[in-house]
Amino acid sequence: MNFRDSSTWVFRALWMQRTRTFLTIVGFSIGIAAMVVLSALGEGLRVFVLNEFTQFGSHIIAVNPGKTETFGIGGLLNTTRPLSLSDATAISQMPNVEEVVPLVMGNAKVKYNQRARYTDVAGVGGAADKAWKLEIAQGRFLPTDDLQRARPLVVLGSKVKEELFAGINPVGRFVRIGSERYRVIGVVAPKGEFLGTDLDDMVFIPAGKGMQLFNRQSLMEIDIFFNPRSTSEAMAHRISRLLIERHGFEDFTLTTQDQVLVTMDNILSILTFAGAGLGAISLLVGAVGITTILMITVTERTAEVGLLRALGGTTQTVRMLFLGEALVLGLIGGICGVLLVAFLLLLIYLFVPALPVALSPTIVVGALGISMLIGLLAGSQPAASAAKMTPIDALRAE
Amino acid sequence: MRLFDQLVFNRQLFMRHRVRTVLLLLAVSIGVASVILLTSLGEGARGYVDREFSALGNRILIVLPGRKETTGGGPPIYGASPRDLTLEDANALGRIPGVLAVAPIIAGTTTIAHSNRSREVITLGSTDAFFTVRQLNVGMGRLLSARARTEPLAVCVLGVKVKRELFGSRRALGQWVRVGDRRMRVIGVLEERGESLGLDMRDMLVIPVRTAEQLFDSPGLFRILLDIAPSADSDKIQEQTLRVIRKRHDGEEDVTVISQDSMLAAFDNILATLTMAIAAISSISLLVAGILIMNISLISVSQRRKEIGLLKAIGASSRQIKQLFIGESLLLISMGSALGISVAFALIFVFAGLWPSFPLQPPTWAVPAALLVAFGTGLVFSIMPAKRAAALDPVLALRGLQH
Repeated sequence: MNFRDSSTWVFRALWMQRTRTFLTIVGFSIGIAAMVVLSALGEGLRVFVLNEFTQFGSHIIAVNPGKTETFGIGGLLNTTRPLSLSDATAISQMPNVEEVVPLVMGNAKVKYNQRARYTDVAGVGGAADKAWKLEIAQGRFLPTDDLQRARPLVVLGSKVKEELFAGINPVGRFVRIGSERYRVIGVVAPKGEFLGTDLDDMVFIPAGKGMQLFNRQSLMEIDIFFNPRSTSEAMAHRISRLLIERHGFEDFTLTTQDQVLVTMDNILSILTFAGAGLGAISLLVGAVGITTILMITVTERTAEVGLLRALGGTTQTVRMLFLGEALVLGLIGGICGVLLVAFLLLLIYLFVPALPVALSPTIVVGALGISMLIGLLAGSQPAASAAKMTPIDALRAE
Repeated sequence: MRLFDQLVFNRQLFMRHRVRTVLLLLAVSIGVASVILLTSLGEGARGYVDREFSALGNRILIVLPGRKETTGGGPPIYGASPRDLTLEDANALGRIPGVLAVAPIIAGTTTIAHSNRSREVITLGSTDAFFTVRQLNVGMGRLLSARARTEPLAVCVLGVKVKRELFGSRRALGQWVRVGDRRMRVIGVLEERGESLGLDMRDMLVIPVRTAEQLFDSPGLFRILLDIAPSADSDKIQEQTLRVIRKRHDGEEDVTVISQDSMLAAFDNILATLTMAIAAISSISLLVAGILIMNISLISVSQRRKEIGLLKAIGASSRQIKQLFIGESLLLISMGSALGISVAFALIFVFAGLWPSFPLQPPTWAVPAALLVAFGTGLVFSIMPAKRAAALDPVLALRGLQH
């Protein structure tokens, strides 16, 4: 039996039982669709988070004081091993370093005349706008002068500006933060949230002022943006050597952006797999459906199988024919499922554009591959029982 | 036709098509079991969080320095604010009626060293009240005394892991260790206890709050924990806390107060939503099973044409035929559901034996919801085949003809 004959046989068999073929495919494609939608959601989330992280470039190294990673917020606590502004200055003089952003964060009341607002205060360096891709709406960002001699200047986030200076140009005016007066020199354009922190509800002051304001001896973090000519490993190595030289021993933690990305990627991939696994349950039920229907088909077509065998078809041929039927069911189910998903994603895209979904070619190809594989597995038992029939008994069955 | 007759009739059918019946049962039970198992995973996570919180057994208010105007966002976790939250603030909060104990906390990281071994650890500066509020017990030696509230004693209490890393199996009590740039005597080792609320107490060091002030050269408290009386109204105490702080901070309300109840409620909400979503996703498998049932019923209608014709010929009404087919589906569903429920509970039982610390239990609504979806889809998808069977013309059907 050549390929054309067998495919005609398979398709005619499926066509003769349109209703049941249709229903089997519907069931199976719902299973595939469930799996694909969930993995597309997982994948979308992964892409979204990774984009959030890489929007500042991937050549970043963060240094935190203390050599422990417990809490993941080591920098927020007090420490007996401070990272100082002169550490930041020293790092900024290294080759291949483009920007260095010292960082100290806290919470304070910002006051202008009678209006006041409790908000996040970021003590940063003058390069933070370039490093974090902040756009300046009015005025300019903090000056990049000597970190040690910080001047009381402040740049407002857009929301803080709205709350304190609705309708007034704030540049040149003075606000009170803590016990000191700061001159407003600029306003940052709306930027939105970054991982849950509202960058608009924040004011930026020089890092040295921030340390005074919050009475801290140490920076919480130093972010180093380096030039792509160097690799993260080489940079991390050199920075750690420099700091060890300055402090006497290793009392800080370096985190490269690459490490963060790998960790995030791992976590989010697990999430994608979990989603796919949830969907796979429906697929399993769909597979049981294919097996059931093929079992029925085999019994119904006993005579046909007998005839085929009597005419010289081998057990192999019979097995292949039924497997082929299962494979086609699985494949068509898979294609319908993917189309269903594409339609759903289009709806999501049109009505909830904020929800990140991504249907990658890998997922589509994977889904089709899995549906064929499951079709084959589901068909193996019925095909085996069809092949097992002896021609005489099968012919006599009617 | 009586119910009993119908059951006998259906039993005969199931026996005749054993393979088909078994596969259908399999499909339905996979769906039902997955709904129950997956929701109990979600519910288990919820129970776990609940238990972690209530393991403390008391009600806690947490006061953190700093405040954000926008409500609903995260709390100000930075713990830095121009006006420090001080030990004096903590003492003032202790005088609020209904507050049983106050534990001020200064937190930081330091190096602790003994002979040639050293380790970076999180160090908490607090008082004897800390151990009461967090319900930590001593494993060896003793905990901080009441003197730790006011005096910078050079003593420390180690977490189990810190003790093990520095001293191995040797005796730690009474030994001198170097913490930052100070020498302190080890007076106690905490009882072995797992992670609690994300805080690994095994890898920590507790020193008197005044000592921590000196060590970190800062009077700023990281948190104040208030243990409130079971009879006290948490909201009222929260209000009073803010009032006391306002009075002490020149009219500024620059702290955030979080109650344990509200944290628990937030967790509960998230996990409950997650569980519902999982339940919805896993019930898709029941939909697929429903379609399979419809498919099989259609096949069985066409195979049993003669039988139906005979039934009609001896006086069965269309209604009865319909009832017969729908009944068959529902019977299948109920057997499949029973199987699925038993499998799910068996697995939960096995799981509970293997990991007793994780409370795996289906939420109360899981079984009814799974049954509802299973029977709902079963009913919907068997109506069409049943109608088709009922519409058959008895004479033609008896002859085995299509129309």
